[in-house]
Parts: sequence; structure tokens; C-alpha cells
Amino acid sequence: MKRTGPILLGFVVGMLMLVQFFTPNPWIAARYNNVLDWKQVVFGVTLILGVLSLLLHHGRRIRRRVAGWSYSGVTVAGLIVMILAGAVFGKERGPYPWLFAYVQSPMQSTLFALLAFYVASASYRAFRARSLHAGLLLAAGVIVMLGRVPLGEMIGFTVAGRFYSLATLSDLVLTVPNLAAKRGIMIGVGLGMTATAIKIILGIERTYLGKGA
Amino acid sequence: MARGAWSARLAQGDRRILFLAVAATVAFPLLWPLNLPIRVSREARAFHAEIEGVEPGRVILLSFDYEPDTMAELDPMSLAVLRHAFRRGVRVLVMTTYAGGVGIAERVLAQAAAENGRTYGTDYAFLGYNPDFSATILRMGESLRGAYPTDHYGHPTGELSLLQGVDRYADIPLVVTISSSALSEYWVIWAGGKYHARIVAGNTAIQAVLIYPFLQTGQLAGMLGGLKGAAEYERLIGRDGAGVRGMDAQSLAHFLIVLFILLGNLGFLLQRRAARAREASP
Repeated sequence: MKRTGPILLGFVVGMLMLVQFFTPNPWIAARYNNVLDWKQVVFGVTLILGVLSLLLHHGRRIRRRVAGWSYSGVTVAGLIVMILAGAVFGKERGPYPWLFAYVQSPMQSTLFALLAFYVASASYRAFRARSLHAGLLLAAGVIVMLGRVPLGEMIGFTVAGRFYSLATLSDLVLTVPNLAAKRGIMIGVGLGMTATAIKIILGIERTYLGKGA
Repeated sequence: MARGAWSARLAQGDRRILFLAVAATVAFPLLWPLNLPIRVSREARAFHAEIEGVEPGRVILLSFDYEPDTMAELDPMSLAVLRHAFRRGVRVLVMTTYAGGVGIAERVLAQAAAENGRTYGTDYAFLGYNPDFSATILRMGESLRGAYPTDHYGHPTGELSLLQGVDRYADIPLVVTISSSALSEYWVIWAGGKYHARIVAGNTAIQAVLIYPFLQTGQLAGMLGGLKGAAEYERLIGRDGAGVRGMDAQSLAHFLIVLFILLGNLGFLLQRRAARAREASP
């Protein structure tokens, strides 16, 4: 029963979600909505579990004074302060929106902005034309980088009286080789997902049940 | 200095100089704008035409699918789309699939609504954040009120005048997603594929590259890519903003990075040639 129950449940819910796609039957549509509502509830519960797990993990680090435990202290303090700010003063006024606008937003933006510096450094040190393939990748990258900004759109060449800017070349790279590669990957992923879903519904794929299933 | 040591230094680069060069290149055009011309792409024109095609008074859905990390790139897009919609008298239902998107959506929405004198509940509404984006997007295809029984401020959605006669994608002529992740793809797959919603997407530049297949097939009716996309849209609506202001800095920064790539490769080639010469010498 420990194995049969979850497999049976997976089969019933999986078949329901599959069948609802092809039928307007109101009873099945209602069950489908129930499943979607439950999915949101389950997701909400996992958020609570995530918060508890975070507190336990960092609480353990603080108690044991492991290297970098003070950062764990900042994490826990940040979590508690935001929860209290929202719970006590409400999410519309007071410290909660203030902390979001003047602490969280600038910190997240700053961290992301630092990427520009690391990308610049990495492009200098790591983006090397070591082989033909790497050279082609580099050329495509340079064309797209320059072709996607106004300055690059002013650079180009004239053939038979018609001006071809780097933007034209950039569009060509994006809409032909890039699109073909992305589409190939998407079709592969789609087929893989379909095969895995069928295996789960039929109970062939059981790794989601844990060890020994 | 020996030639080998010089090429090694060129190949490695001094990180302090690289960082200073990036900072100076970005700061310079923000202080002294170059006003480079901006070419409007076909995708941006298509996006603009979709909003232009919505009849005044009808309700579109705008989803803020990003958090503060990418707001410098995506806020100008959201603001331009809201300004355009409000100016045309199109009503806007706003939501977010990220918890961190709530504060952003409220701020941008408040600014655009105040500029155009729009009223909450009648001209626009904010549904807020629902956990689990997949279930939310799918559930809204069945019933918006089912997915969001109340708006972000606790008002029952059934009582909002904005939502009278609007309860599913079939009642909404256009879905707009401004996204920093694969959310645009999910909107296309779930809202577009299953419920035939018409969708346009604004994405970060890095994400825009990945959604071209949907654009080619017509599953996406239009697209804005990165800060450049925002600048193009600002030009289309005739109101420059942070997108246009950022274009000069982005242009120079891209050229600087290409220069770095060339210099790094020059150092690498010189180093390799020096190593081969050493190996060949007896």
C-alpha cells in the first residue's frame, strides 16, 4: 500500500489532467479547478517549510559558531524583521514597504549591476578563440552585442547601394542559427517531458517516491 | 620588459583598470548624453501595434514577472506600456508572479495612473501575487475570480467595476508579460496554447534571445528585448524615459566589452606565438 497508493493517486490525477484537456465536461472541469486550487495551497505550504528549513539551517550555524556564522545571523535577522514589519504594521504602510524600497530593492539591483564588471573582466580573460568553434562563437557574440545597440546600428557595409548594418547581421544570427538551435532543444525537451509524464502516470517512473520504490 | 611578460600581462589584464574603464564608460554618457539615433525593430513595432489595436475601454492583463534585480532594465518597459495603455483609454489589470514584484508593480502602476489621472477599480486594478505561477496562469483561463477571489488590497474581485464582464482570457484582448525569466514561455504555453490568449512579451536582453521561436510562429504577437526594447517603445509612444537615457551608456559599454575581448585575444595569440617560438628554439 505504501507504494501502490501514491502510484494509483498519480495515475488518477495524471489521467484527469490529461483528459480535461480534450473534454468540456463540467464535472471534469470542476475537478481540474480543484486540482489547480490545491496546487496553490500545496505551494503555499512548501513556502512555510522553506522558511522553517532556512531558520533551522542558519540557527544551527549560529549555535555552533561555524565560520561565517555572522552572515547567518544577518539572514535570520532580515527574515524576522521583514515578517514582523509586515505582520505588525501591515504591508501597505510603515516599515515593510520602506524596507522593500530602500533596502531590498537597492541591494538586489546593486548585486545584479555588479555583473557588468564581472562580465567585462571575464570577457577579457576567458573569451578566447582557442579553436574554430570558439572563434565562431566569439564572432557571433560580438555581432549580436554590437548589433543590439544604437552605435552598432550605425556601423555596416554597403552592397549594391544598400546599407547592411551590424543590426541586420545581428537579426540574422538571432533569427536563423539561434532560432534553429533553440527550437531543436525545445522539441527535445518537450519529447523528454512527455515521455517522463507518461512513465509517471503509468507507474514506470517511480524515483519521485524516494529510495527503494 | 621582456616580450613574453608583456604579452602575458596583456592576456591577463589588470582587473582594477578593467573595472575603472567600465565605470567611466557607463558614467560618461549619463552625464554628457550622446543622443545616438535609435532604430525601432520589427518586434517592437508589432508589440506597439497590439496595444494600439485594443479598443479603448477594454481590459488588458499586465503581469510583472520580475523582481528588483532586473528592474533597471524592465521598469522602463512596464512604465511605457502602462503610459501607452492609459493614454489610449485602455484599462489594465495588473498582477505579478513574483513575491518581490509586488512593490515594483505598485510603484510603477501608481506613477502611470497618477500621470494619466486614472482611478483604481475602474481604470486599473492590482491583483497582487499568488503562490505557484503555473496553477495561477492556468486557473485564470478558467476564472480570474477563482484564481484571485480578492485583489491585493482585499477588495472582492467580483465587486471591481473593472472586472464586470471580464473573468477569463477569452474576455481579455491582450496579455502582456514583462519578464526576467522563462515566464514568457510559460504564458505562451499555458495561456496561449490552452486558452488561445493573445500575448506580447517584454524581456531582459538575455532572455529575449530565447523566445524568438515563439515570435516566428506567431505564438507571441510582439516582443521588446532589454533596455533597447524599452527605448524603442518610448520612441514609438513619443515619450522618452529611462530606456532612451540608458542607450548611450549601453552602446559604449558593449563596445568596451568587445574591445576587451579583442585585447584579451591579442594577448593570448602573442603568448601562444611566444610559447611556440620557445619550443622551436634548440
